[in-house]
Amino acid sequence: MARHKKYETAEEPDPALDISSLIDVCFLLLIYFLVTSTITPRETDLGMALPAANPTAEQPVIDPMFIRIEPSGAIYTGIGAGQQPMDSDTSVRELPLLNGQLELYSSAAKAADSKPLVQIYADSNATQQRVIDVLNALAGVNITSVTFTDLID
Amino acid sequence: MASSKLRNATADPEAECVMDMSPMIDMVFLLLIFFIVNATAIIVQTDPEVAPPIAKNSIRQTDGSGRIVVNVHEDGTFTAENFNVILAGADDIEDLVKRTKERHQTLGVKSKLHLRGDKDTVFKYSRTAIRAAAMAGVDQVVFGVFVREP
Repeated sequence: MARHKKYETAEEPDPALDISSLIDVCFLLLIYFLVTSTITPRETDLGMALPAANPTAEQPVIDPMFIRIEPSGAIYTGIGAGQQPMDSDTSVRELPLLNGQLELYSSAAKAADSKPLVQIYADSNATQQRVIDVLNALAGVNITSVTFTDLID
Repeated sequence: MASSKLRNATADPEAECVMDMSPMIDMVFLLLIFFIVNATAIIVQTDPEVAPPIAKNSIRQTDGSGRIVVNVHEDGTFTAENFNVILAGADDIEDLVKRTKERHQTLGVKSKLHLRGDKDTVFKYSRTAIRAAAMAGVDQVVFGVFVREP
């Protein structure tokens, strides 16, 4: 009986593989990829409907707002004697003066139960970024109906 | 005695070397989650040479259907979604828009111009593309922008 017990205790444990080095390498690779990867921003949409492409016979109740963009990036609203200078600093993306005007115009259009309509005259040499700044301001007050006046030949 | 025990152990077909896989599975899941979180769904193929402008009020792209992509490079060169295809001018853009619009119509999808203009390009080139799309009967324009500085 005693002999039998001695035989059981002498049995060797199962062989085990040390995988700690594998985990070390995995962590090292993970840290490498985390550090070197750059998260690129997703491209987003700034949608506009251009009524100039499909002109209708319907006359808007409220006069469209006219915005002019100069090659220098200066922005003006109105036509002729009623023309008002707006934001001119091209390094700033926000257009507080134009935003104020657009909010007033948008409120007036809502009060008249009319859809706000904006006509943009962008000079041929105005930069894409500056035109987008204006369209961004329009999107900020939910104006999505825009006419580029010089689209009609 | 030891040699006989070793012989017995090696001769036993039941004795197997077991490797603990759980840490490796943990790592694989961790990597999988990392790449899933980082991955972005591609709505349109983007030309890397075009740096779109910034617009904070832009919205996230959700639907890729019906988009007719025109890239406008800083020097005024136009390319299609497959940016190896150079569009010579307004006529090429109009042709592209017409052809793609017809294909969209068969699928019952409304076409829109996805204009990816470089932030430093002058607007006259973008206007050329918008005008050409309008001539082809597409009046919806989506400007490709970034919501913040990349």
